[in-house]
Amino acid sequence: MAEPRMRDITMAQAIRTALREEMKRDEKVILFGEDVAQYGGVYGATTGLQKEFGADRVRDTPISEMAIAGMAVGAALAGWRPVAEIMYCDFLAHAADAIVNNAAKWRYMSGGQFKVPLVVRSPAGGGAGYAAQHSQNLEAWFCHIPGLKVVMPGVPRDARGLLKAAIRDDNPVVFLEHKAHYTYKGLVPAEEEVLPLGVAEIKRQGTDVTLVAWSKTLTFALEAVEVLAEKGISVELLDPRTLQPLDVDTLCNSVAKTGHLAIAHEAVTFAGFGAEIVAQVTEHAWDSLKRPPLRIGAPFVPLPYSQPMESFVIPQVADIVQGIEGLLDGTRTGAR
Amino acid sequence: MAKTDAALLLHFYEDMLRIRFFEEKIRDVMLPQKLFRGSSHLSLGQEAVAVGTVHALREDDSVISTHRGHGHAIARGMDMEAMFAEILGRRTGCCRGKGGSMHLSDASRHFIGENPVVGSNAPMACGLALAARLEGSDRLVASFFGEGALNTGAFNEAANMAALWSLPVLFVCENNLYAISVPVEKSSAILELENRACSYGLSGRRRSGMDVMEVYETVRGLAEQMRAHPAPVFVVFDTYRFEGHHTADKQSYRTKEQVLEEFRAHDPIHLLERAMIDDHTVSLDETIAYRDRTRTEVEEAFARALEAPWPDPKEALEGVYAPGPEAAAASKGVV
Ligand SMILES: Cc1ncc(C[n+]2csc(CCOP(=O)(O)OP(=O)(O)O)c2C)c(N)n1
Repeated sequence: MAEPRMRDITMAQAIRTALREEMKRDEKVILFGEDVAQYGGVYGATTGLQKEFGADRVRDTPISEMAIAGMAVGAALAGWRPVAEIMYCDFLAHAADAIVNNAAKWRYMSGGQFKVPLVVRSPAGGGAGYAAQHSQNLEAWFCHIPGLKVVMPGVPRDARGLLKAAIRDDNPVVFLEHKAHYTYKGLVPAEEEVLPLGVAEIKRQGTDVTLVAWSKTLTFALEAVEVLAEKGISVELLDPRTLQPLDVDTLCNSVAKTGHLAIAHEAVTFAGFGAEIVAQVTEHAWDSLKRPPLRIGAPFVPLPYSQPMESFVIPQVADIVQGIEGLLDGTRTGAR
Repeated sequence: MAKTDAALLLHFYEDMLRIRFFEEKIRDVMLPQKLFRGSSHLSLGQEAVAVGTVHALREDDSVISTHRGHGHAIARGMDMEAMFAEILGRRTGCCRGKGGSMHLSDASRHFIGENPVVGSNAPMACGLALAARLEGSDRLVASFFGEGALNTGAFNEAANMAALWSLPVLFVCENNLYAISVPVEKSSAILELENRACSYGLSGRRRSGMDVMEVYETVRGLAEQMRAHPAPVFVVFDTYRFEGHHTADKQSYRTKEQVLEEFRAHDPIHLLERAMIDDHTVSLDETIAYRDRTRTEVEEAFARALEAPWPDPKEALEGVYAPGPEAAAASKGVV
């Protein structure tokens, strides 16, 4: 089989490509959110789409997160496929009623009479000095709600393929992008590619330890894998890509192979999604584990503004390297 | 103008210049030299609303602000060195480097702080005002927000609550015509923004936000009335932001000519200068002296802030909880 033709594009371009392809394919796909139409989104993910698809299908809204999310639910109930943008995931707190109480439950509560095919896209994450109210990673909130799916892509190919799947999915999907990651480049097939939700990908094969990472932390993990390889440690890097549903089989198979589990994520460790991964593996693959699993995440603090403090809080490449070294030699020093 | 005492006008003038030079420092020095992080939202062009409003309040009235709040902070008398240090991310910053440009605050001046979650400060203002009522005090609370915030659920719930419970909140809408790229015509179904107050049983006013005296007289009158009969008031000041939404905004949604011609002509500082010179409150030479003096003041505050130490990275872990038995539970995330 011929290798697919690839293009090197940014995360923002990958997202835009997915939106454009899906809007072309299905006229029921509509877009709205703050500054998404004429301005093209504050991170440029929707640039040009209003021009291409018209003001009916791509709309700027007022600053009204409750209305944006609630309207998406209503339109989805009526058979449309809205993709709503919430400018920062922190403001999903304003939109949470519609997402958590309505979108997630309408199908179930109605005994399956309705479906709610919507996507809420929203930038998450820190690292750019936006301080505590514009830098959070809230994936654990939404993973806890039955009825929602949660996607956090780490590379442009996944962003494009998974967003397309999310738009086609008949369930509400919270699609979290990383705001410091929109200019990150990667290869994406020129041809259409839809990636299934709920399927993890082994980004690097390895034998000594399974490292699970997603979103922007995946790029740090990729670097850490290189550093550790030079030290003779072979890391298997797994990106779950969708956190809900979570691909537990691929995860457990990897741990069965390596015997060690480490999870790196940018969110606060306490009650973070890493805890769920640890629980799944200890429940389903306890016998594979040679040592207790390790979580590498942020300490229990809001994200500070100032550079030295911010980089201290956000797990860096060195934190992952040290954490894994400590896990394997049994000292666990240097881990956070 | 004639009724007004000259010292007051000159005080307004100084404060407006402080805001102008402070933010020009951010735009012209800190931005090109990458001395701050994230984004900074400048209020150049809107100085008269900040100064006129804040000076019409009492020192013990609370002020709660938005992402565009440097002007409110300066008018409130905040120390510019501590503000610069905060934006630089230094330990001596007013928030110890934890907040940055969008989160300046100063408890000692009842400046509750900037709150960049749009609309979110309106319900908080109600709580501050409720506290004043419960204490039997005639303190007021000023809540600043842009016209974009009028469309949030938070603002609308707060407006109703304030009216229902007669809470002394001064809702100050700085209508600068844009919410990031979205012009007011595309965000509000009615353009008589002051009328949005009616549906909550609030009294609404609309005035020019470019004339500091008009702002001051308006708020002074309203404040007097609110102290005598506690009730919320909603006031819209029409103004303009001369710069982009934040320092990195390319402003593709509006033309440069529009900015310069229509609005620079109403520069609130020039308006005040012209009025004071016409009125013989100040001579042209004296305005120059004022400008030089204020510029030097800002320069010196900035230079001192630049000398300030960086925080130790571990300071990030401090201050999450007020001290108490649970403080030790603030884990380091090491599991
Ligand atoms: C709840 C919420 N939604 C979106 C944003 C992103 N945002 C920051 S400022 C802004 C525009 C605010 O416009 P306006 O209220 O008119 O104030 P201005 O910036 O004009 O001073 C937006 C949408 C936010 N900070 N908070």
